[in-house]
Amino acid sequence: MPAKKGRRYVRNRFELLDGVILTLLIIHAIIIIVPFISVIGTSFATQREAAASKLMLFPTKEPTIDNYYRLFQDPRIVIGYKTTFLILLIGVPVNMFLTTSLAYGMTRTNYPGAKMIFYLILLTMLFNGGIVPVYLLMMQLGLIDTIWSIIFAYGVNTFYFIVMRTYMISLPESLVESAKIDGAGEWRILFQIILPLSKPILATVLLFFAVDRWNEWFNAMIFLRRKDLIPLQLVLRNIVMDATIVGSLSIAGPRVPRFTEGIQCATIMVTMLPVMCFFPFLQKYFVKGIMIGAIKA
Amino acid sequence: MAALVKNEKKLHLKKRIAHTGRNILLNKEKYFLILPGVVWYAIFAYIPLFGLSLAFKKFIAKDGIFGSPWVGMVNFENVFADPAFAQSILTTLRINAGRLVFVFPFPIFFALLFNEVRIGRFKKVLQSVFTFPHFLSWVIVASIMINILGQQGLVNSFLKLVFGIQPIKFLGTPSYFQPLVYITDIWKSAGWSAIIYMAAIAGIDIEQYEAAEIDGASRLQRMWYITLPGIKSTIVVLFILAVGYLMSGGFEQIFNLSNAATWKVAETLDMYIYRITFRGSVDFSFSAAVSLFRSVINLVLLLAADRISKRIGGSGLLA
Repeated sequence: MPAKKGRRYVRNRFELLDGVILTLLIIHAIIIIVPFISVIGTSFATQREAAASKLMLFPTKEPTIDNYYRLFQDPRIVIGYKTTFLILLIGVPVNMFLTTSLAYGMTRTNYPGAKMIFYLILLTMLFNGGIVPVYLLMMQLGLIDTIWSIIFAYGVNTFYFIVMRTYMISLPESLVESAKIDGAGEWRILFQIILPLSKPILATVLLFFAVDRWNEWFNAMIFLRRKDLIPLQLVLRNIVMDATIVGSLSIAGPRVPRFTEGIQCATIMVTMLPVMCFFPFLQKYFVKGIMIGAIKA
Repeated sequence: MAALVKNEKKLHLKKRIAHTGRNILLNKEKYFLILPGVVWYAIFAYIPLFGLSLAFKKFIAKDGIFGSPWVGMVNFENVFADPAFAQSILTTLRINAGRLVFVFPFPIFFALLFNEVRIGRFKKVLQSVFTFPHFLSWVIVASIMINILGQQGLVNSFLKLVFGIQPIKFLGTPSYFQPLVYITDIWKSAGWSAIIYMAAIAGIDIEQYEAAEIDGASRLQRMWYITLPGIKSTIVVLFILAVGYLMSGGFEQIFNLSNAATWKVAETLDMYIYRITFRGSVDFSFSAAVSLFRSVINLVLLLAADRISKRIGGSGLLA
C-alpha cells in the first residue's frame, strides 16, 4: 500500500496553510476566553488594584474573595439560588415526563387522530401567540407570582420532542414486534425496551432542558413579581443592569464602600459556574443532540 | 337504485366507525401516554393562540379574553396609527437583514477552517471553547460584555494603553449598537452553529478528495471546489430558514444589550410588544393586535422559506 503511505505522509506535513488556519482559530479562541478571564480576574480584585493598574486581566498584588463575601451577604443571591434550584428540580422532571411520553406515544402515528395531533404540535413551531396571551392565561389561571407559572410556561419543547421521536423511530422495530409476540404490553415495551435503548437521547434532552431551566429569566421577569421568588439569572440582571423592574438596586447599602464591578463579576461567576464546571463533560451529549436534530432539519 | 347506494354508503360508514372504534380501544395505552403532553399543548399553546382573538375585542378584565366584546378592526387601526410600530418593524428588518450578511457566514467559515485542523486533542479543546458560550444565557453574556466594554473595562484599558485612545462608549452609542449585536452574536453562537456544517462536511465522499489530490489540487483548491460545493445545499437551506426568521428572533440578546441610551435603535417588534405590554399603561387588546400581526407575518415568512427550501431540493422546516 505505498500510495496510502504517501498520502499519510503528505497529510502529516505541517504546511503554511496549517499555520494560517491555526492562527485564525486561536485568535478566535482568545477572543472568547479573554472576557472570561477578565471577569474571573475582576471578581477576585480589589477596587484599589483595579483602579491602579493600567490593564488588569488578573489581580496579582492583592487577590481577595471580599467581593464574593459581600455578594453572599445580599439576600437576593440566596433567593436566586433557591428559586433556580426549585425551577430545576420541579421543571426538568415535568419537561422530561411530558416530552418522553409524548415522543414514545407518537413514534407510530398509525392510530386514529395521531397524525392530526402530530401536525397540530408541529404547527406551534410556526405559529404562536407570543408572550401576551400566555401572560393573560397565567393571570386567569391565578398562576402569576407562583413557581407553577414558570414550570408550565415551558413544558414540551417541540424541537426536543422531534429529536427524541426521531431517535425512537430509528430503533429496530423487530424488537418491539417480537416483544409483542411474547405478549408484552405497551408499558412493558416502553419501560423494558424503548427507554433503556433511548438512554443516550434521554441524557441529551435532559441536559438541554437542565440548561434551559438554569438560564430561565424572561418568563420569570414577566410572571414573578415577588421579591422572594427571583431566579439567579434575574438577580444577575438586577445587579449588573440598571433594573427598575424588580425593585431596589443597592447591594450592601450606601454607607459600605464597595467595588461595584467586582461584585458584578462575582455575580456573573456564581451564575455561570455550574454550566462552566459541567460543560466539558457533557459537551459530547450536546453535539450528539444537535446532530440528530440536524439530520432531521 | 340511489337508495341502495345510500344504504351501502351507510353500511360502509358504520363499518368504518366500528373499525375506528376498535382501533381506538386497541391503542388505548397510546392515548394514555400522549394525554399529558396533548393537554399541555392544548392549555399552554392553543388557548393562548385562540387568545389572540383579543385583537378584535375590547379587553375587559372581569369578562376575560373570551367574554370581552368584539370591536372589529379598531385595535388594528390604533396599531397602524402608532409611528413607533412602523419604526419597530423597520428596526427589526434592519437588524436581522444585517445578521444575514455579517453573522451568517461565520459558522461556515469556522467549519471550513476547523475541518482542516489535524491535531485531534487540540481540536477537541478548541471545539469546547467555541461551543461553550452558546450555553450561557444572554443575561450572562450581556453582563460579561458590559464588564469588558465599560468605561474602565478591559477593551478601553487596552485601547488606552496601546493607542492612547480616550474611553469609547461602546454600549451607550446608538451607532455602535448594531455592530455590537453582530459581534456578540458571533462570539456566543458561531462555534455552535458551525457544528451543523461540520456534520455536512463529514458526509462528503472521501474519494472526491483523494481523486483531487491525485490530480494535484492544493488544499485550498480542495476546500473551494469540493468542501464548499459539498455543503452548498446545507448553506442554502439554513440561509432560507434564517430569512424565515427575519421578523423574529434576537429578543433576549437585544433586550439585555440595549439600555436607555440605545433603546431607540434597539426597539425591534418584540421589544415594542414588550414595552407596550409590560411597561406603562397596558392595553392588552392593542398588544394582542400587534402580537397577531407579528405571528401572521412570521407564519407567512416561515411557510415561504419552507416552500423554497423544499423546491430547491432541501428538506423543509417540517418533516
